[in-house]
Amino acid sequence: MTEEKPSLREARVTALDLAYCFWRTFFLQGVWNFERYLSYGFTFVLLPVLKKVYPIPEERAQAVTRHMEYFNSHPYMASFILGAVVRMEEEKQRQPRPKQKQKEEEISALKVGMMGPIAAMGDNLFWATIRPYCGLIAVTLVLSHAFQIKGQFWVIPLFFLVVYNIAHVGIRLMGFIQGYRQSDQVVLTLRKYGFQQAIRGLRLASILLLGVLIVFVNLSVLEKEVGLFVLKLTFFTAIVGLFTFALHRKISPSQMFYAVLLFALMLAFWPTLSGPPILPMGGP
Amino acid sequence: MMPHLFPIAILMAFLSLDETAVGQFMVSRPIVTGPLVGWLIGRAGIGLEMGALIELIWIGDVPVGAHLPLDLTMLTGTSVALCCQLAQDSNPEAAMTYALGIAIPLAALSTEAEIALRRFHIRWLHFAQRMAFSGHLRTFEWLNYLVLAEQWLKGFLVSAACLILAHLSSGLYSLLEGVLGGKVIEGFYYAHWLLLALGCSAVIDLLVEKNTWVYLILTIVAMMGLAVFSPLQGVHLVAIALLAGFILALFFVGKREAST
Repeated sequence: MTEEKPSLREARVTALDLAYCFWRTFFLQGVWNFERYLSYGFTFVLLPVLKKVYPIPEERAQAVTRHMEYFNSHPYMASFILGAVVRMEEEKQRQPRPKQKQKEEEISALKVGMMGPIAAMGDNLFWATIRPYCGLIAVTLVLSHAFQIKGQFWVIPLFFLVVYNIAHVGIRLMGFIQGYRQSDQVVLTLRKYGFQQAIRGLRLASILLLGVLIVFVNLSVLEKEVGLFVLKLTFFTAIVGLFTFALHRKISPSQMFYAVLLFALMLAFWPTLSGPPILPMGGP
Repeated sequence: MMPHLFPIAILMAFLSLDETAVGQFMVSRPIVTGPLVGWLIGRAGIGLEMGALIELIWIGDVPVGAHLPLDLTMLTGTSVALCCQLAQDSNPEAAMTYALGIAIPLAALSTEAEIALRRFHIRWLHFAQRMAFSGHLRTFEWLNYLVLAEQWLKGFLVSAACLILAHLSSGLYSLLEGVLGGKVIEGFYYAHWLLLALGCSAVIDLLVEKNTWVYLILTIVAMMGLAVFSPLQGVHLVAIALLAGFILALFFVGKREAST
């Protein structure tokens, strides 16, 4: 009992420690490797807390080594797990020694059990929804030529970065705080945040933007003739359909690029085609 | 391009850190990298157009599990630098297509270099584990910064190599034009328009499902109608689509609250 007293006193993790840990989550992908993926980054994030809750060097070294096990997840959404693990490490030190081994197993089980589903959710939410949505807004704005005319080229990239990072840093911070607050119960509360609904809503919003984009690409001929605009748009949509079919067949965009280039060169060298005049940048 | 090689390589090395090691704030995305590299050369407009095209075509190439997608930072940086050089005396759209054609294999090489480096990191991992086990936590911690420096150096060397190779290929463009005539530039110009179609297809492939096709078709028809029959300009159509998207998102959030 007397041996555990210093641990009990030292085991208090302050808000500053948590803030430091959160800052370190941005380095989660350090030493990314094909053997244990994010294991080093995970341990690196936890290190300030581990130093605090394990004042005895041997225990500390053991705890750090324990976290070097295989870990792979989504870099943003992993903050849910990180927050929960910080709390569980803190709780572990408050427990009597016989129960600490069980807590260690619980921590490991939480990491192993949550990293897969969290990664799938993060990939779907960020890589396949939020990032394309923000990218699509930026691309559509570029094609609208609204900001280039005034020479304000920095507006669109800045807009992209601000919108994306509000979602990125917001969810990262929320995940870390909620993970810390709810400890191993965080998995039960993930559904509450409505990520699935957000994915559906943002995907539909992206589709609306795509509709605008498809019209934009062909807008340059509208000033000349409405009939030509409709014809060009119909032809463009048919090509888009054809390319979508090819991409759906798992042909990579790089392979598609060279196929398109070859087709366009054949079109240019086709003897019966008299090519249209090459327009200046951004159309007439 | 050559006078700007050094600052571009330094910039790209920093941006590639965002892609692979620190933060993932998306400053390494083509829509940001393109105008930045273009601005360094003095042609931010071309950088922005090029960045938008690359962003669109590779929008669905996502890092899932251990899969590393094509190095888009390198692709954008190299192609923008080459395009800015070629567009001085040629059609910009044709130059963009040619620059992309040259930069894709170079970006693939950069991805291979990243894979090799990540394999090498296994040694660092074992070293870190030994340090942790023996209680040398300061060394353990500093290893992260050492690896960041290593990643930056790799980014710098690969960028410099890619930029030099791209610069050397610029002679081929003039050669093609000289031997095959203006038709080849015409072909590159057609390809640019087709590449925008490829970009739209990439978005459809990523986002559109069986039950959402109807929304896309309705949007195209509605926007076509607005473009033809109303005096609205392009940016207003974006605003309308964003507003409609916002209402849709609110509708789905409302649905969630009703169900809970």
